Amino acid sequence: MPEIIEVCPVEDLKPGERRLVEWEDLEIGVFNCGGTLYAIEDRCSHDNGPLAEGEFDEANCTVECPRHGSLFDIKTGQPKTLPAYVPVDTFPVIIEQQTIKLEVD
Amino acid sequence: MAVTENQQLRDINADYTERYGFHDAENYLYKAPKGLSRELVEKISEFKSEPQWMREFRLKALDHFLARPQPTWGSPLLAEVDYDNIHYFVRASERAERSWDDVPDDVKKTFDRLGIPEAERKFLSGVGAQYESEVVYHQVREDLEQQGVIFMDMDSGLREHEDIVRQYFATVIPPNDNKLAALNSAVWSGGSFVYVPEGVHVEMPLQAYFRINTENMGQFERTLIIAEPGSYVHYVEGCTAPTYSSNSLHSAVVELIAKPGARIRYTTVQNWSTNVFNLVTKRAVAQEDATVEWVDCNLGSKLTMKYPSIYLMGERAHGEVLSIAFAGAGQHQDAGAKIIHAAPNTTSNIFAKSISKDGGRGSYRGLLEIAKGAHGAHSKVVCDALLLDDHSRSDTYPTIRIGEDDVNVAHEATVSKVGDDQLFYLMSHGISEEEASKLIVNGFIEPITKELPMEYAVEMNRLIELQMEGSIG
Repeated sequence: MPEIIEVCPVEDLKPGERRLVEWEDLEIGVFNCGGTLYAIEDRCSHDNGPLAEGEFDEANCTVECPRHGSLFDIKTGQPKTLPAYVPVDTFPVIIEQQTIKLEVD
Repeated sequence: MAVTENQQLRDINADYTERYGFHDAENYLYKAPKGLSRELVEKISEFKSEPQWMREFRLKALDHFLARPQPTWGSPLLAEVDYDNIHYFVRASERAERSWDDVPDDVKKTFDRLGIPEAERKFLSGVGAQYESEVVYHQVREDLEQQGVIFMDMDSGLREHEDIVRQYFATVIPPNDNKLAALNSAVWSGGSFVYVPEGVHVEMPLQAYFRINTENMGQFERTLIIAEPGSYVHYVEGCTAPTYSSNSLHSAVVELIAKPGARIRYTTVQNWSTNVFNLVTKRAVAQEDATVEWVDCNLGSKLTMKYPSIYLMGERAHGEVLSIAFAGAGQHQDAGAKIIHAAPNTTSNIFAKSISKDGGRGSYRGLLEIAKGAHGAHSKVVCDALLLDDHSRSDTYPTIRIGEDDVNVAHEATVSKVGDDQLFYLMSHGISEEEASKLIVNGFIEPITKELPMEYAVEMNRLIELQMEGSIG
């Protein structure tokens, strides 16, 4: 059953910024790519290391895994370079009453 | 074998220096002082008049290299790599020439002595010859050029085909993949850029030859091969260096991309002198119905750490790694293979053979991974080790990860020692002990040498014979 969790007020996550949230045993990175918000699992599918803290390229909406350099498309969760080849989970982002929320499952 | 042939072999074997280990006078246009710095990386990029994005790519890679610790796995010899005692860039000529006559005399003589121009005339589609940091000669057959085949040094590839290079460069091996890939990404120079258009079959091999001349040299070539759908190419590389008492470093990055239905075969005959650290990252992507084959022969170097990888990304893709490692006195060959089945009905084979003698150490380090969803995958891994004496060593480090039920995976490993009974049997037929030993070794490696082009198979057998010379009795 999907659950809605709160992230932060909209004004606290400006374009080019990111934020990490935790829900149960999940860690999720929420990114603002040029005004549009996306959320991906904070776990590289290559070796399970943290992903969302890597280099964030706002213009291309990608994040680079800090451990082995795989580049992920934040919009789709798909890796754009090896060594990762499995996509990471993405989560729908909802804005309600000027608050950023995620739908998690 | 006639005594005279034996004598010939012994004479050559007695001295690698004579055949491969000689060195030329250093008439260089530029030789960087030892050591690595941000200024040097900027200078290399400036020398090559690179676009800004490549300069930034190099500098970011340098940060990755400096931030990562030296790996501690693999071999204790790794601790001996001294990054401050290496010349990272040496320029021997102005440009990659298209005629041997335009190559500087000393350098041309070296390649003549190594037989490269002769091989080019006889049985190759194209040749690249790299001397120190850069390619001094590059040529591809005109008919292939007319079909759109691109075969040039990587520096020229970036200059002349920046759009293709930018699209694929470092997508298979990102700079932060590992410390040595980061180093290569920061200071890369030379290597080959190969592009084969859709449906084009390059029937005769393309060859690159890499030569180190100066002491404490670092050679960091970068190769990118793109085979468009339904195309075929066989790329062969060889390498040698002079024998010095202090160490050199060779650290290449090689990326292969086989599009749907394409086939790439990449053959290496590595024969560095035994003062060279050979720390290389090689990785391939095989899309739907594509085939990638690595034929990897490691004879030389002090320490080789190299695990050619294939990511089978499309349905029915096929990957194959054939690996021979020969470890003699003071050598550690840490070779192997990695195959990742990321799509259904993909198939792969790994055949790895190592021979250790005179205290040498041969290791097989492999990964076979079958991803969830890659149903119908088939894979066979066979690794065999042959020990020729009691003080040599063989290790096997296989890793198998299977995330899918409907697969077929076989793993076989053997370690054998040349036994007295085998030698006795052959010697009872009038064969000398040394010849008997060679026969056993040749029989052991034959499944792989038969996959080499004829000329290389002959060379490989000859090299093995040289290495074997005087090893018994």
